[in-house]
Amino acid sequence: MINYVVLSMTLLAIGIYGLLTRRHILKILISIELIATAASMNFILLAPSLNRAMGETFLILAFSTDTCVTGVVLALLIIVARKYGTADIRKLAELEWREEVGEEKGHSEASEGDD
Amino acid sequence: MILELIAIGLVISAFLAVILDEAVYSVASLAITLVLVAILYSLNDANFAAVFQLGISVGTLAVLFLSGETLSEKTNQKKPLRKALPATIVAILLSVPSLLISVSIPSGNISSDVSFPEALWNLRAVDIILQGLVIMTVALGIVIVLQTKKERNK
Repeated sequence: MINYVVLSMTLLAIGIYGLLTRRHILKILISIELIATAASMNFILLAPSLNRAMGETFLILAFSTDTCVTGVVLALLIIVARKYGTADIRKLAELEWREEVGEEKGHSEASEGDD
Repeated sequence: MILELIAIGLVISAFLAVILDEAVYSVASLAITLVLVAILYSLNDANFAAVFQLGISVGTLAVLFLSGETLSEKTNQKKPLRKALPATIVAILLSVPSLLISVSIPSGNISSDVSFPEALWNLRAVDIILQGLVIMTVALGIVIVLQTKKERNK
């Protein structure tokens, strides 16, 4: 006999592990998908103890928000990857930091030039 | 027995989806996870949920496959599947608690005589709000695409 709560917790743990350790944006999205699946599994697998129909209905409604999240994250992911040419979040963070430092340097050089 | 095998397969495929380096293999592994979840729903007499799960996973996975191909760095050498075997062993160990540990679930007092269409009808307000959310997301996607094109043309 499977314990669905523990199964769902295991999937959640795997998703959180992926979210914390992976650097590729697509892997992070896959981890988010796993977390969402683990959460939505409870609607069905625990529903018999409460109300099966309500569990199924809530699951179907939860799918729409889950799909919205996936859509928005994918759109952002592709735009960021095209703009910066990488899908590695650490490299992206580094690029952003360099841009900020570059801007600050540009401002300070411009103010020195004015003096 | 079949439920136990599905549970083990679910944990293994989910773990491989996170662990594998190649994006396409990860998405393939996620596909197996989502199909196994749909089978699990079906075996728990939630056929509507199983059909919805399959339909949504087909769409999500198609998009994820395309983005995986787009985003993966184009190199001629394929990454070896060295991690697959140790990851499978770890995943089998991870799936053991769900087969052995028992957690009691309290039964609620809600009457279970509501049918699925009735429940869906009772929650129509939430459904409308969520449909609005989906439409807003589509609008947001179109705005992002147009904005990117505008920036490129400048």
